[in-house]
Amino acid sequence: MFDMGAKPAPLVEARGLARNFPGRQGLLGRVRDVWAVRDVTLALAPGETVGVVGESGCGKSTLGRMMMGFDRPTEGSVSFDGRDLAALSAAERRKLSRRMQMVFQDPFGSLDPRRSIGAQITDGLRIHRLVPPGEIEAELFRLLDQVGLPRSAASRRPHAFSGGQRQRIAVARALSTRPDFIVADEPVSALDVSIQAQVVNLLMDLRRDLDLAMLFISHDLHVVRHLCTRIVVMYLGRVVEEGPAERVFATPAHPYTRALLTATPSLKPRPTGGAPRILPGELPSPANPPSGCPFRTRCPLAEAACAEAVPAARRIEPGWQAACIKAAPEAVA
Amino acid sequence: MVRYIAYRSLVAIFLVWVVVTLVFLLLHLIPGDPAELLLSQGSIAPDPQAVAALREKMGLNAPLWQQYLDHLGGLLSGDLGASFRDGAPVIEQIATRLPRTLEVIFTAALLASLAGVPLGTWAAIRAGGKADGFVSLLASAALSTPVFVVGSVVILIFAQQLKWLPAGGFVPFSEDPVQHLKLLILPAGTVALSLWAVITRMTRASVLEVLERDHVRTARAKGLGRNTILRRHVVRNALIPVLTVLGLEMGTLIGGTVLVEFVFNWPGLSGYLVAAVDARDYPEVVGIVMTISVLFVFLNLVVDVVNAALDPRISLVTP
Amino acid sequence: MSRSTRKLLLPGGIVLALVTVLLLAPLLPLHDVRAMDIPNRFAGPSAAHWLGQDEFGRDVLARLIWGGRASLFIAVGSALAAATIGTLLGLLGGYFRGVVEVLTVRAAEVLLCLPPLLLALLVVTILGAGTWPLILALTLLYTPNYARVAYAATLQVRGLDYVTAQRAMGAPPLTILGRTILPNVLPPLLVQMSLVVASAMVIESGLSFLGLGVVPPTPSWGLMIRAARGAMEQAPMLLVWPSLALAGTILTFNLLCDRLQTALDPREVTKGGALWMRRPGRRKTAAARRHGAADDNGPLVEICNLAISVGRTPQIDLVRRAGLTVMPGETVALVGESGSGKTLTSLALLGLLPDQLRVSAGEMRYRTRAGAVLDLAQMDEEAFRALRGPEVSMVFQDAAAALNPVHRVGDQLAEALRAGGLTGERAVQARVVELLRHVGIPEPERRRRAYPHELSGGQRQRAMIALAVANSPRLLVADEPTTALDPTIQAQILDLFRKLKTDTPDMGLIFVTHDLAVVSELADRVVVMYAGEVVETGPVAEVFARPKHPYTAALIASVPEGAADQLRAIPGSVPPPHDMPPGCRFAPRCDHALPQCTSRVPETSHPEASRSSRCIRWKEVC
Repeated sequence: MFDMGAKPAPLVEARGLARNFPGRQGLLGRVRDVWAVRDVTLALAPGETVGVVGESGCGKSTLGRMMMGFDRPTEGSVSFDGRDLAALSAAERRKLSRRMQMVFQDPFGSLDPRRSIGAQITDGLRIHRLVPPGEIEAELFRLLDQVGLPRSAASRRPHAFSGGQRQRIAVARALSTRPDFIVADEPVSALDVSIQAQVVNLLMDLRRDLDLAMLFISHDLHVVRHLCTRIVVMYLGRVVEEGPAERVFATPAHPYTRALLTATPSLKPRPTGGAPRILPGELPSPANPPSGCPFRTRCPLAEAACAEAVPAARRIEPGWQAACIKAAPEAVA
Repeated sequence: MVRYIAYRSLVAIFLVWVVVTLVFLLLHLIPGDPAELLLSQGSIAPDPQAVAALREKMGLNAPLWQQYLDHLGGLLSGDLGASFRDGAPVIEQIATRLPRTLEVIFTAALLASLAGVPLGTWAAIRAGGKADGFVSLLASAALSTPVFVVGSVVILIFAQQLKWLPAGGFVPFSEDPVQHLKLLILPAGTVALSLWAVITRMTRASVLEVLERDHVRTARAKGLGRNTILRRHVVRNALIPVLTVLGLEMGTLIGGTVLVEFVFNWPGLSGYLVAAVDARDYPEVVGIVMTISVLFVFLNLVVDVVNAALDPRISLVTP
Repeated sequence: MSRSTRKLLLPGGIVLALVTVLLLAPLLPLHDVRAMDIPNRFAGPSAAHWLGQDEFGRDVLARLIWGGRASLFIAVGSALAAATIGTLLGLLGGYFRGVVEVLTVRAAEVLLCLPPLLLALLVVTILGAGTWPLILALTLLYTPNYARVAYAATLQVRGLDYVTAQRAMGAPPLTILGRTILPNVLPPLLVQMSLVVASAMVIESGLSFLGLGVVPPTPSWGLMIRAARGAMEQAPMLLVWPSLALAGTILTFNLLCDRLQTALDPREVTKGGALWMRRPGRRKTAAARRHGAADDNGPLVEICNLAISVGRTPQIDLVRRAGLTVMPGETVALVGESGSGKTLTSLALLGLLPDQLRVSAGEMRYRTRAGAVLDLAQMDEEAFRALRGPEVSMVFQDAAAALNPVHRVGDQLAEALRAGGLTGERAVQARVVELLRHVGIPEPERRRRAYPHELSGGQRQRAMIALAVANSPRLLVADEPTTALDPTIQAQILDLFRKLKTDTPDMGLIFVTHDLAVVSELADRVVVMYAGEVVETGPVAEVFARPKHPYTAALIASVPEGAADQLRAIPGSVPPPHDMPPGCRFAPRCDHALPQCTSRVPETSHPEASRSSRCIRWKEVC
C-alpha cells in the first residue's frame, strides 16, 4: 500500500475496515444491509494530519468513530500503536483512551450544559491521574492559555460562550490528556468563516507544537487543503482516492475528486468562464449501492466494465492511489 | 397501509396474550393459596372446607401448566367460566353489558373532540392572553376534578337542584329513545369532561408548536389565506400528537367508565366490575378485566391506524 | 429569578403549606376524627365545628385534614417508590440497551397495556382493600411510566456528543450514568413526579369512593364523598368540602407540573399569540402609499434606512440603517455571518418577521408589475398576502422543514398556483408537472405524488424552488438555499439558479448567504452586512478585488481558499444585540480603528458611483 521504507511506523492503522447497520423491514421483512463503510485501509503516522472528505452517506463520520474505537467494526480491525482495539478489555480500552481524543462538530452539543467548563476540561486529568490533585488547576490554566481563552472562563458554564469559543474549549478538553491522536469530526463546519479561521489556526499551531496525529473529517475541501498533508476522499463508504494533499488538489486522479473540486464554489473567477461542468444525479442510498464502482451512476467516464467489479486501488505514485480503472492525474478546469 | 394494519394487529394479538398470561400469573404467583386469598375477609381465616371446595372449583389441584392451558383453551372457545355467585356464564353478562359501556365511551369521545379541538386551536392562536389563560385554567380544573366528583356534583346540580335530567338509571333505546338519550347525557358528559380537558390542552400545545414551524411560514410565503393555512397547514399537522395522546388516554377513559357507571347506575360492563370485585367473584373479575383489556388494546390499534393514515412518515419499520 | 421560576412559587408554596399542615395534623388542636355526635348530625358550620358535622356528627374539618394525610401519604409514597424503581430501570435499559433494555423497558410497556384502574382493581381483588395493597398496586402501576420517561430521556441524552466525549475521556459507565446522564434526565422525571402524585390521588380516591380503597375508620376524601353522596338531600355541603379539597389539591399538583415543565424547558410565547393569524383590523391597516408615476428604469426594490427592532423599553435594533437596491434582472448577494441581520432583512421584504420583531424605521419601496410603488414597511398581513407569490417570493434554507410533511409535493405546488389565481383543475395539474420538470426533478408525473420525506435533499430543494417561482414572481429572495446541501448537489442547485436567471431575465434575485465563493459564482452585486448594518455594497468582482471596508477585507482574508499559510482570523466575536458598541460596530475588532470610529456612527461614503462603504477610512483599506 504505502512505501514502508520512507515512513515511520504508523500510529493508527485501519485494515479492511467495514461497518454495517442492518435494518429490518417490519417484523417479517427481509434484513437489509446498509454498509456505511466498506473496505477502508488507512494509516496515520505520528504527527501526520490526514483529511477525510466526502459528502453525506460517504461514511466519514462512522470511520472516525471506528478509529476511536467507539463503534465496533463489522469487518477488519483498528490498531493503535500496534494493539488491536477490539482485542482490548473494557478497562484496557479506557486506559488507552488517554492517548486518543475527539473533537466534535456541534459546539453546542459537545459540552455538558450543567457543568462548568473547567470541570469538563479536567475530567481526563482526574480519570487518568495524570497530574497530582494540587496541580490540576495550574494545568487547566495552561490549557486555557494554549487555546487562547481567559483563565476566568474556567468557572463558567458553556452557555456563556460563543460557538467559536466552545470549539476551543472542546479542543482544550481533547488536549488535556496529552493525546497522540485526535479525531476532529467536522469541528469548524458549524462556525462562521471568520471564527472558523480562529479554530483552524489553532489546530495548525497545535499540530506544529505538539506533533499530534490528526484525522480531520470535513466536507469543506478548502479547509482540508489548508490544514492537511494527506487527503482521503470517500464516496458511499469506500475510499476512492488517497494521496498527498497538494498533489491531489492540483491534479486529482479520480473523477469523483475532480467533480468535488469543480463543484466547490470558488472565490476566484473561473479561467474558462461560464458555468462549470455539473455532476448530475443524486447520491445513491447506502442501502442500495450501485453494483461495481459506486460512482459509476454519475461518472462522466463510466463504461460497461465499471459495473462489473469494484475497482481496485491503482497506484499513481508512492503514497498516492485512486480506485478507478481510468485513474489518471488531471488538472481541474 | 394494509401491511401496517396487519402488522399492528399481530402486535395487538400478542399483547392480548400477554395480558391474559399476566392476569393468570398475578393470581397464581402471589404467595399464599389463591382460594384462601379470595375467600379471606380482612384477617378472619376462611373456613377450610370452603377453601377446599373453591380449590376444586377453580381446578387448583391440577399442575400449573395444565391450569394455564385450560385457561387459554377456555378463553379461545369463548368460555370465560361461570360466576361464583350465581353460576351464570360470565360471557353472557359481558355480551349484554359491553355495548352499553361502548356507547358511553364513544359518545364521550365524540363530545370531547368536537368541543376540544376548536377550543384548543382558538386558545393557541390567542396564547399568552386572557382568553387563553381562562381556557387553560378551565381545562386544568376539569382535569383535576376526579370523574366521580364531577359525576356526584353534576347529579347534585342537574338532577337534584335544577331537576332538568334524571339522576341515573337505564332504559333501552328500543323502548324509549328520548329517555334513553336523556339518561345518556350525564354519564357521557361526565366522562367527556376530563377527556375534553386533555384534548383542549394537547391541541393548544400542539397548535402552538406547529405555528412555529417552517412549513407554516412557507404557507404564508405562498400567499395562502388565513383560513386555508389554519386548516391545511396548522390543524392538520397538529392533530397527529393529539391523536397519540387520545390513544394514551384510553386507559383513563375506560377507568372513568368504571366510576361513572357506578355513580349513575348505568348498567355497563365497567360498573359491573365493581360489584364483582366487591364479592371477590374471581371468574367474573378476570373475565371482565380481560374483555376490557382487549377493548383497550383494540382501541389503541384503531388510534395507531388513524395516526398512520394522517401521517405519511410512519412506515412499516420495526419500532 | 426568571419569570417562569417565579410562577413556580404559587403552586409550590401551596403544596408546601398543604404538606406542612397534613404532617402536623397530630399536633394541631383538632377534634377526634372518630368522635361521633349523633344528635348533631348534619349540623352546619359553627364556632366549634368550622365546617360543620357529617352524617355521624363527626367534625368535618378534622376528617378533611386526616383524610388528606392518608391520601397524600399513599400518593406520595407510591410515587416515590415507583420513581426510584422506574428511573433505575429506565436508566439501565436506556444506557446499556440489549438484554437489559428488553427486560426492563419492554416489560414495563407490557404492564401499561392494562388500564390503570383495572390493574389496581385486580390487585385489590386478590389482596383485599387497605393502605398497603393500595400502595403496592399504585407503585406497580406507575413504575412503567417512570421507566418509559427515564428510558426515552436516557436514549436521547446518550446520543449527545458530550456523553460520547465522556466515553472518549475513559470515564467508567457508572460514572457517566451518574454524573452526566442522570442530571440531564432529571427534569422530565421531576415533571413526571408531580403528575404521578396527582394521578395517584385520583385513583386512590376513586377506589376509596368505590369502597375498595382505604378502609374505614381511616378517613379519606374518597370515602367522605361516598358518604356525602348518600346524604345529598339533607346536607349538600358535605359533598362540597371534600370535593373542593380533592380537586384543589390535584389542581395544585397539576399546576406545579405544568409550571415545572415551562421552567425547565422555557418556550417564549408571544403575548397575544400568533398575531398574523388574527382577523384583519387588529393591526394597523395603513394603506400602502404610492410614490410617483411608473418609472420603467427605476429599481425593483429600494431599501432605505431600514431598522428592525425588538422590545420597547429598551428597544434593541437588530438591523439598523440598512439599505440596498435591486434592479430588475439583477442578482444581489446579501452576505454576512451570524448576527449580521441578513436573514431578518430578507424576511422583512416578505412581511414574515417573527411576531416579536417589527420594522421600526425606514422604507422598503417595491415596484409592482402594474407599475405602482408600494412601501413594504407599512403593509399589513392582508396586503402582503396579495403580493406574496405573484410579486415577491422566497426560497428557504431547510427544505425538509419548509415543506409540509403530510401533504404531497404536487398538492403543495397546486395550492400555490391556485392562490396565485390559476383556475381549472387540469390547468393546475399540468402546470405542476411543468414546474417540476423546469426545476430538474426527473419523472415529474410520478414525483408530484411523493411526500417530502420521500425525496432526496437536492430534490426537496428543487421542489422548494418550484414553489417559489410557481407564480412567476418579480423578486425572488433565497435565504441560504444551498447551505445545508452537499457540495455536488449545491453545484446543481446553483446551476438551477443560473438557469432561472436566464429563463426569466426580468426577475430580481436576492441571494442571502455566508459563503463568499457562492457570491462570486452567482451574483452581480454584493451587499455586506455586519452586526445589523450594511457596511459595503458594490459589484462583486470589484468588491472582492478591492474591498473598501475593513470587515470585507478581513472576511476575504479569512476564507481558507487563499494561498496564504496562516488564515487571517478576525479576533473577538460579534457583539450581542443588546450590548452594541457606540459608533462603528466593527471598531472593537478592526485593524484600522481610530478614536473617531467609536465616537460617532460612520456615515455612508461612496468611493465610486456604484459602491458604498460605511467606513471613514475606506481609502486606506485596500
